[in-house]
Amino acid sequence: MDVRAQLVMVFNLDKCIGCHTCSISCKNIWTDRKGAEYMWWNNVETKPGVGYPKKWENQEKFKGGWLREGGKLKLRAMGKGPTLFNMFFQPNMPKLDDYYEPFDFDYSNLYKAPPGSDQPVAEAFSQVSGERIEKITGGPNWDDDLSGSQVYAVEDSNLEDNTLVADYGRMFMHYLPRICNHCLNPACVASCPSRAIYKRGEDGVVLVDQEVCKGWRFCTSACPYKKVYFNWQSGKAEKCIFCFPRTETGQCNACAHSCVGRIRHVGVLLYDADRVEEALLKPDDQLVAAHRDVIMDPHDPEVREAARKNGVSDQWLEAAEKSPVYALVKEFAVALPLHPEFRTMPMAYYIPSLSPVISSGGDLHELADHGTFPLLEKMRAPISFLASLLSGGNQEIIADILRKQIALRLFKRAGNLGQPIEESILKNAGLDEAGANRLYRLFTIAPYRERNVIPTQQREEQDSNQRKGASGFGILKKTRGTK
Amino acid sequence: MLNNFIFIVLPYAALALVIFVTPYRFFSNRLTWSAYSTQFLESKTLFWGINPWHYGIIPVLAAHFLGVLAPGPLKVFLGNQTNLVVIESIGLALGLFAVFGCLGLLLRRVNAPILKRVTFASDWVLLYLLLAQALTGVYIATFMRWGSQWYLHTAVPYLWSLASFNPQIEYMTDFPLVFKLHAACAFLIVALLPFTKLVHLLYVPVHFLMDPPILYRWRTK
Repeated sequence: MDVRAQLVMVFNLDKCIGCHTCSISCKNIWTDRKGAEYMWWNNVETKPGVGYPKKWENQEKFKGGWLREGGKLKLRAMGKGPTLFNMFFQPNMPKLDDYYEPFDFDYSNLYKAPPGSDQPVAEAFSQVSGERIEKITGGPNWDDDLSGSQVYAVEDSNLEDNTLVADYGRMFMHYLPRICNHCLNPACVASCPSRAIYKRGEDGVVLVDQEVCKGWRFCTSACPYKKVYFNWQSGKAEKCIFCFPRTETGQCNACAHSCVGRIRHVGVLLYDADRVEEALLKPDDQLVAAHRDVIMDPHDPEVREAARKNGVSDQWLEAAEKSPVYALVKEFAVALPLHPEFRTMPMAYYIPSLSPVISSGGDLHELADHGTFPLLEKMRAPISFLASLLSGGNQEIIADILRKQIALRLFKRAGNLGQPIEESILKNAGLDEAGANRLYRLFTIAPYRERNVIPTQQREEQDSNQRKGASGFGILKKTRGTK
Repeated sequence: MLNNFIFIVLPYAALALVIFVTPYRFFSNRLTWSAYSTQFLESKTLFWGINPWHYGIIPVLAAHFLGVLAPGPLKVFLGNQTNLVVIESIGLALGLFAVFGCLGLLLRRVNAPILKRVTFASDWVLLYLLLAQALTGVYIATFMRWGSQWYLHTAVPYLWSLASFNPQIEYMTDFPLVFKLHAACAFLIVALLPFTKLVHLLYVPVHFLMDPPILYRWRTK
């Protein structure tokens, strides 16, 4: 047993309102730089949709993630030998057009324009070439809220039947906020010929060492989530750093901190590193169960002893016990990994959203006969869609979670109205009263320090002079083309 | 005078720059240590430039080094006329391939507006220099036949004499100007290496081949 600690984020999709506040706070802190204009380490997509970069889920195109072959895991794109022969031209690399050409507006034209009969306008220009852009044809949220659904949403590979996009009576949508998943089996790390990408032992954060990266670009396509970006200015790869300068001091990640809907939970998971590979060799529909098996119980003395051997401090073990993430992912089993079938074992988990409550699958605005809450089989968002997104196609897992969410709502509604509640409703969904109350608290009124339990990094063992010299964050040296 | 400059001053200056500037750059700011790929911005013509260039120039360059390292066995091998003709033909074909690629890379920088902001003076200097190097190489291979053999008897002993700090430039002085140009360009490229994106030549990923797939870094271990 090789027990390690990992900082994990859980997203409650049921509560995401798609306001993009997370994206903006991330951008302001980390990617408001030349070469990084197009990067959104945190982005929010509308599902169904093609996402950012366009069609990132299509691994036929970008060849990201892992495959099972001959009882072993192997990068889908290429092995080590072919990597050496594709260094000059990386065949699967996503291009600027797959994201969008970043633009700004020339506001000086508003007051510099010569007198004329027309109102002067601020013309768009490319932030890459500096040239004027006649017509903007893409942006980070080009298909936000199903805009252009006939072009974009119909292309969503998770839809079993994409004709429903044209049928307003059956159409549905929800948001999908995404950061780097800081995977347990990161394909970006494995693909890097320079060995510049690494996983931190203490908290599992995956980082690109900017000094070691030589810009070979294999990580940008190896990551099946397209969360490693190429900085066209510095010629190096960059990615979400899980706000480690903040989490190291116990502060919440900028995206989670600023979340308006309070959909995010950050906490510690303990996992058994010895069993990761074995778990990933399971068939697609058993992967979620395998994920849960790898996550260890922080209350178990044996697990705690093994964790201590790996240098996990008491403070971290305490945080693991209180972890809202452990509760949601393992105890209540309501949070699921995004596309587990990519086999990177992502460490960001999603609670699937319940569909619109008042209309059923079928005719528009037809109030279903189920009363106030939807029946599982009448959900507007097809379970197959959620299963394709979150459970490797296993619909039973999605149904279990939706049942829990419905039961929880019925339970709380009855409680609020002073009505009796049938015990069987909670029981059938695998909940009890205490559990339901705890889950309700986590989903709704839990304050900041309950939603996020982030232990600080222990630095007592370091010499204080060294600590002083090495603390703080910032790159003092310059990349090419910066003044 | 020109001979002394090309065959004594230039090579030693280039060597000194590589030896002193490269580690300086490595230790002072590795943030600039990149091949500065522009594939992200423009990839259609890049494919037809970068692949021919690298796959043409790497074997040719390797053959030049092999000549320096093992002149004896090569002399024997190329003593066979069939071997000589085959090697010369392959060399010329690879050289033409490299010229084609380099020309493509140069025209790409001229024609793609999206590359304007990522094209620096050093990119132009390198492209023209590499093109000149490849062109003079192809010219020599075409009009000064059997270079793979005579190179072993002229340039190789000269390079060894440089290494022993006793430069014997008489090996080189009687060659026509185009050959001297080829040599001068080579030394210039070496001299520019530590200052430009050519530093990417100094790194061949070998660790990667032996490492386990997932790399961990522990602060405490």
